[in-house]
This record gives sequence, C-alpha cells and structure tokens, in this order.
Amino acid sequence: MENILVIKDLNFKYHNKPIFNNFNLTIKKGTWVTVIGPNGGGKSTLIKIIVGLLPAEGYIAVDNILKNKDNIKEIRKKIGVIFENPENTFVAETVMDEIAFALENLEMNKEEIKQKIMEVSEYLNITDILEKNPFQLSGGQKQLVALASVLVLEPKILILDEAINRVDYLDRENILKVLQKLNKEKGITIINITHDIEEALYGDDVILIDNGKIILNGSKELVFKEEKIFNKIGLDLPFMAELSLNLMYYDLVDRMIFDMDEMVDTLWK
Amino acid sequence: MEIKFENVGYIYNEKTPLAKEVLKDLNIEIKPNQINAIIGKSGSGKTTIIEMINALIIPTTGRIKVDNFLIEPEKRIVNIELLRFQVGLIFEFPEEQFFNSTVEKEISFGLKTFKYKTDEINKRVKNALQMVGLDESYLSRNPHTLSSGEKRKVAITSILVFNPKVIIFDEPTVGLDSNSKNNLIRLIKMLKNKYHKTIVIVSQDVDFLHKLVDYIFVLSDKKIILEGNKYEVFSQVEKLKEHGIGVPKIIEFTHKILVNKGVKMGYRDEIKDLIKDIYRHVT
Repeated sequence: MENILVIKDLNFKYHNKPIFNNFNLTIKKGTWVTVIGPNGGGKSTLIKIIVGLLPAEGYIAVDNILKNKDNIKEIRKKIGVIFENPENTFVAETVMDEIAFALENLEMNKEEIKQKIMEVSEYLNITDILEKNPFQLSGGQKQLVALASVLVLEPKILILDEAINRVDYLDRENILKVLQKLNKEKGITIINITHDIEEALYGDDVILIDNGKIILNGSKELVFKEEKIFNKIGLDLPFMAELSLNLMYYDLVDRMIFDMDEMVDTLWK
Repeated sequence: MEIKFENVGYIYNEKTPLAKEVLKDLNIEIKPNQINAIIGKSGSGKTTIIEMINALIIPTTGRIKVDNFLIEPEKRIVNIELLRFQVGLIFEFPEEQFFNSTVEKEISFGLKTFKYKTDEINKRVKNALQMVGLDESYLSRNPHTLSSGEKRKVAITSILVFNPKVIIFDEPTVGLDSNSKNNLIRLIKMLKNKYHKTIVIVSQDVDFLHKLVDYIFVLSDKKIILEGNKYEVFSQVEKLKEHGIGVPKIIEFTHKILVNKGVKMGYRDEIKDLIKDIYRHVT
C-alpha cells in the first residue's frame, strides 16, 4: 500500500531540550492510526511539525510531496486538523458562513461554494443547523462544524488533536462513526491523537509515543498484546483488550475481540 | 459538613428575553466525608450546581444550606470568604489560570491576598504539598513547565492551603493520560480517607468515577432523575442511555451478556473478578 506520510531523520529541540532525535515514521494511505502516549511525550509537537507550525530538521513527505519552505501551503491543503477547542477557530456568525470561510479565501464562486457546503453538510447530517450561530451549538455539533469546514477543502489526511475530549458521550460515538465512514467510504487517512485509549478501537493501527520515541507501532490487535509495556509506562489498555487478554489466558477465547456483541457470542456459543 | 439543596431553581438571565431555566425544584443532600459525583449531559446544569455550593451563583428560588451558611435569593451572605475557604472549587483545566512564575507563588497567592503571616503560609504550603505528594523541590519551578498531571496537583494544592472541608472538582480528568488519572484517583481517595474531606466531582468520565465514587446524583431535564451508590445508579443502563449518559465499560459488557444471552452476572469492579464469573458460566 502507498504511503501518505513519510518522516525520516526528524530532529527537533524545544528550548535546547531534544524532543525528537532521528525520528522516523510512515503512515499508509487510507488507514486510521491512533497515536497514544503519556502527557508530554511529543504527540502534539509532532503534528505541529508536520503542518509546519514548528520548524524542524528532517525529511517530511506528504502524499509524495517533499515538504520544504516554499510549498507549505500545498502541504497544508492536503491535511485537515481538528483541535480540542473548535471555538478558537470559529470566525463567522452562522454555520454556513463558517464552512464557507476557507472556500471564499480560495476565491471559489458562490454557486460552487454552496454546492460543496450542501454536499458535506448532508454527509455529516448537519443541514438543520446551517443557519445557527456556531458558538451556540453543543460541543459535539461544534466539532462537526469544524470537521465540515475542513472537509470542504478535500484533505487527504485528517488529523484530530484531542478533538473529542470535551464532547458528550453520545456525540462522541456519533463523531467516531462519522470518521469511520469518511475513512472507509472516502479513503481519507485519519490520524487521531488522544488520551482516551478506547478511541483506538475505531481505527486500524496504533502508535505509542513516549519521550519522542515510537515504543510500539502496528495493528491494534498486536499493539494491545504488549500489556507489560503499557504497564511499565503506566497506561491502561482499552477495556476490551484487557478483557480479551484475560480470557485468552484462561483459553476462553483465542484472539483479541474488540466488539462486545462478538465477544458475548464467542463466549456463549 | 452539611450541604443541602432545598427546592433550588436557577434561571440564567432571569427577567430578560434570554432567560433560560436550568434547574427546577432541586433537592440534593451531599453525603459528608464521602466521594459524591454529579453526572449528566453537558448543559444539564452540573457546573451551575457546584458553583452554587460556594455561592458563586445564587439560586433564583429555594435555598442551599452549607454548614451554618444559608445561600438564598436576594440575601447577603455574612462572612462569604469563610464559606469559600471551607468549600474549595477546582475548575476544569485549572492550570489555564496559572499566572505566577513559580509554584510557590502560585500556591501561596490566595493566602497572601488574605494577609496570612509568612510563617503560617510556609507551614500551610508545606502541608498541602505533602498531601498531594509533591516534594519541596517543586516550589522553585515554573508551573507552566510541569506535566499535565503535575499542573493539576499544583492547582489542587493551591486550594488545599485553605484547609477546606469540601473539595469540588469540575471535570478533573479532561486531558489527562491514564497514569495521571490513576494518581488522581489515589489522591482523591486519600483526601477522603486520611483527611476526612467531603468530595464532590462533576464528570462525564464514568470509567474514572466507577473506580472511586461512593454516591452518584444523575442530573437531567433540570432535576435529579436518579441517585444512589454506584451499583444502584450504573445498573440502570437503559435509563442512563435514554438521558444520553454512558456507563462504565465493565457494566456495559455485563449488560450485553444479560440482553443477548439472558445470563445475569454479578456487579463487578474489576476484570479479574468478572473473568471468574464468566469461567463458571461458560465451562
């Protein structure tokens, strides 16, 4: 499978303290990667380097374009980033204008803008809030608006930086399902940085970063088998991974099962 | 210390076109020396409730008794500082309010404002640091350079110096990794067991709450729809879901077993105990 993101020999210092030292990472096109790790391990710093918000030495290629100081705009077009607090990025008085903002900056004509907004809003199921003030929406709706504003630009990679931290439980599930649909149907690569390890179960691969180093990188089935490493760093496993490992120990199941219904059916055959 | 809400109502922007009722005829009795939790969807009024306990918000109807204080509409509270010393409130993302260059200045700021003597300040800072498990080397450090878990501890310390009887946490786990969460669980349990504090936590993190709370109030549609110990509350899976509230993963799973296979499992706190139950049923 083709790589959408390649990082080689990345070096970055913050106040003379080395954060990344010859760091390497590749991410395959169309996958959903969950990036986990302790606070202060370098997760958010890495994202800022990728989108050019922090300068670093090294080789970074996004969708086969080698990043340099002249093409940062081109690189950014390929990456949509959703942050923890969407209000910080809201500029308009209606959801419609908010989503249109970036397209207007690209000098797209009005008809085309409207068509794009409708397309994305229908996909995200937010057509009923287009006339509302984005600041007055619920936490989950705000994040859907932030997502819509990024999706109209048709990014190849969607990066979520603790994006659903402050969102209600039901909205959270809804957003994760929407992301799953975007990933499967539109082939958008998703990089989700999160403290909530349970979110990893919605994706394919998991990368564990600590002290600027990749400790584990692989499918969720493989990564979550490394219970000892998680214990050493002091991170919990997702509930279903821990349950699977315990049941495997007693020979009650023979593999990791992340879906609750499937687990119940396997146990009570 | 007694904390009792009697028919409390609250309307934001009362008597304006933007008036919005968030609480109605609310009756709550916080359990003293226990870990209480208030859960509910965002916008259900949880933060309004806790801000009422130290009179940052005054109810529009009804009254609240906090120890010897009465908080009620249009009445002045005598010695309101004393109430606020007794009820410590730790906001969501407390570290965003740091503004001093050292941890020592940050922690002692409140005491200095109230003109405490230097000796007394030093003694209280030292005691409070010990309670949260930070050593004195932290005092000279810049609070902004600490890890998220350490920042939360500093914020908690700056409340503990007032020696409050009640400590209220608003969404304490947001942004914390599981290591820091587990440290916070140990700290809160110790504040209750060793220092006999009454704890009130507002949180949507039900897996976190499941590991430490004694009593839960569920808030929805402006009132308490359910209350009880964690077993009584979290076993009501369907009712909680109806109100947009999740349950701890371990309960969700045992509920799945009940719904899909008709097998009733006991209420378990730990996976290892659940495994034993499953083993007995399927082999």
